[in-house]
Amino acid sequence: MRTTEKLFAQLRTHKDTRWLTVWVAGLLCIVLWDLAFLNRPAFMKIIQGFWNTMAIAFLVTLCTLLFAWVATNLLHTLTMRTMRVPYLTLSFALNLLRSVPQIVGVLLFYVLVASLVQKGSLSSSAAIAPFMAVGMGLFIFLELTDLMRERIDHFRRLDFYNAMRVCGVQEKRIVNFDILWKNSRVHILNKLIAVFGMAVFLQCSVDFIISVGLSNNVNAVNLPSTLGSLLAKIDSKQDILALGYTLTHPSYAAHLPFTHLLGLTVAFLIVFTLLCMHHIANGFAERHRL
Amino acid sequence: MNASSYAVRIGAQGRQLVSVDNFSVAANAITFLFGESGIGKSIIAKALYGLLNPAEFDIAINNQPYRDHLNDPWTRAVRHNSFFVFQEPSSHLNPLMKIKDQLREGSLVSTEHEQLILEQLWEKAPAETIRSITNLFPKPYRPSGGEKQRILLAMAFKKISAYTGKDAATGPALFVFDEPTGSLDNTYRNLFLTMLFNRFHEKKFTALIITHDYSIISEVYGSHRDLSPHVLYHELSRTGDATVAVNDFSPQSYLGWLSSITGAKQDATGGKPLLTIKPDFTIFNKKMRVCGDPVAKTPAPLIIGKGETVYLKAQSGVGKTTLAKIVMGLYKAQNFSMDFMDRIIDHTSPQEVWQQEIWGKKAGLVFQHADEALNLQATVQETFAGLPLRTPLTMQGLKQRLEELFEGEITDAFLSKKVAFLSGGQKQRLNLLRTLILDTSLIILDEPLNGLDFASIKKVLALLEKKRRQGASFLMISHNEEIFDAFVEKTKVYYLTAL
Repeated sequence: MRTTEKLFAQLRTHKDTRWLTVWVAGLLCIVLWDLAFLNRPAFMKIIQGFWNTMAIAFLVTLCTLLFAWVATNLLHTLTMRTMRVPYLTLSFALNLLRSVPQIVGVLLFYVLVASLVQKGSLSSSAAIAPFMAVGMGLFIFLELTDLMRERIDHFRRLDFYNAMRVCGVQEKRIVNFDILWKNSRVHILNKLIAVFGMAVFLQCSVDFIISVGLSNNVNAVNLPSTLGSLLAKIDSKQDILALGYTLTHPSYAAHLPFTHLLGLTVAFLIVFTLLCMHHIANGFAERHRL
Repeated sequence: MNASSYAVRIGAQGRQLVSVDNFSVAANAITFLFGESGIGKSIIAKALYGLLNPAEFDIAINNQPYRDHLNDPWTRAVRHNSFFVFQEPSSHLNPLMKIKDQLREGSLVSTEHEQLILEQLWEKAPAETIRSITNLFPKPYRPSGGEKQRILLAMAFKKISAYTGKDAATGPALFVFDEPTGSLDNTYRNLFLTMLFNRFHEKKFTALIITHDYSIISEVYGSHRDLSPHVLYHELSRTGDATVAVNDFSPQSYLGWLSSITGAKQDATGGKPLLTIKPDFTIFNKKMRVCGDPVAKTPAPLIIGKGETVYLKAQSGVGKTTLAKIVMGLYKAQNFSMDFMDRIIDHTSPQEVWQQEIWGKKAGLVFQHADEALNLQATVQETFAGLPLRTPLTMQGLKQRLEELFEGEITDAFLSKKVAFLSGGQKQRLNLLRTLILDTSLIILDEPLNGLDFASIKKVLALLEKKRRQGASFLMISHNEEIFDAFVEKTKVYYLTAL
């Protein structure tokens, strides 16, 4: 009884938990509805697409964290050792990467993926998905790097940093354990929630764009099926058109949840997931007063 | 002396902050309340005075809801008749209002003797000087911390004059001074005490003075002994995790201990100097000099021998901490030079010298503010991780070291406790121990007794003495002159002056 009360109290006060619950509950409702009214092959496609989308977004988040941590440490070490040339070179390279719009960068990376698929170097979805995640992570991780560097700069101005240094504590421990892990992990986690949402959005956008095909031999069919590529299928497009049709023929709305489920489910999953991620990130920031 | 006892419980967000069963302030007496920083002295006094927000805290006074206490005629009368001098002068003053207007704000408007009080607090400074201060809007840097503190004391004295000036006092009053001398040097501190006791001489009133400054006892004993029957000394000490108790504090225990450490001074082990600092240097375009005589300002190299304790004195803000940071390579000073363990280090030496050879290996520095010097998100145990010790610290070894400065048995729960959840005094002891645990030849201590209660002060000085006998050398920086004048040989006292 007390656990249930606690849970409800948490839902009332914690916006992030509330929206996480809404997301999971919304997904369950969709699954149940689709089980009842969507044909089996289409249902399996949605499950596969959703799973791939979430798995790749999760991998993107991990890659972002890894790249950002490495870049932050490299930049910090070069700064502390006053190694100007390597520092400027690395900063220039990172700023060059920053100058590329994320969606353009990911599209360019997909060209590389397409060529590797064409050469046969990448064949299975299990191999392509991590590769796609690395590509997306490359164009996102600088946002997290900036956050980590801001946190380090903030703590370097406090006595705490110098107090540990004069005690002989190693720089790498102060930066990685005391500043980033002990004092910034909530900030980093909040950013990673946003990165997850960003990855879902980028992936769906790019997959939708490339649905026209990347080369004569490679197209979206060769890549793991995602919500973006499912949305680009002709069936889904017709379902979305049906949605527009109801604007002029409102009485047709009653048919939508029964006869146009594939496209509507995919569109709903994308929008609903992005909306929930946005609220979860905001709620998390509010709860931890970031 | 009548004294009502209060049981005060304060919590917030479901967590108990402090609980005391026997908090009392004697009527028509001056009560000094000592105790380590963060133990709950201020918050209990604020709760009693009716200053806390019942929406923010869960408070019960004598098991009654806080709202009842706020509406009690006693509390209403106290708030009407009295004054509460807050610990941090900057947060007490309104930055959007001139000081002279704040001196006449609210119930202060009707009181008299303002000019006289200001003149007394400024030691009869010209009226123009006082006017130039009262015409200011308070800013973080002007007036100075000491001047702001004296403004607050002036407000309190105005209210005391108003209260004691009445033919028949209407209702109770409680004048609370929370660290009223924290930003004052000894001269102004003594001046404040004299003004307070003079007014008390004329007519008795109830005052509570919250302080860490045990040397105030010597001043009261030396200059106001005739009022001893009306002066009480209490100390707040911890009895549980968030429970505290008020105990009588014997001034004799402090005075006796002070004379015992004076007698116990040991000669230095002598030999070749460990550290020699050239007396003149420039930092932030300010010429500084170390001298042996504060009046003549004759330059004298600061020399610390093996097993010696050296005390560096200077007025607040001159640059004692800055010199400590220069020695530790955190600041670069022009013309600076020191000979440390047969190695000449000067302003041209790169920071790698300190990083590779000195920090944690040959020298350590205890920073002034434990709150800022410690990682508050780390646990007690993690605070000691990563130190370059010759012998790795085991859990048992760490417990033993902690027991040297902390009371009672050190439990696993304490080791896993977040530093943020420790009291100010506990943080300071942790801050000290983190450096004292190192195997360094030199330790610089910047205000090592900050926020400590008497028992902890004794433990810290005993530990320093033990380390000194083992061969460690210390450079002390502290405003706590009475204690360190007693603790350190007179010949080992240096003065830092700005030229």
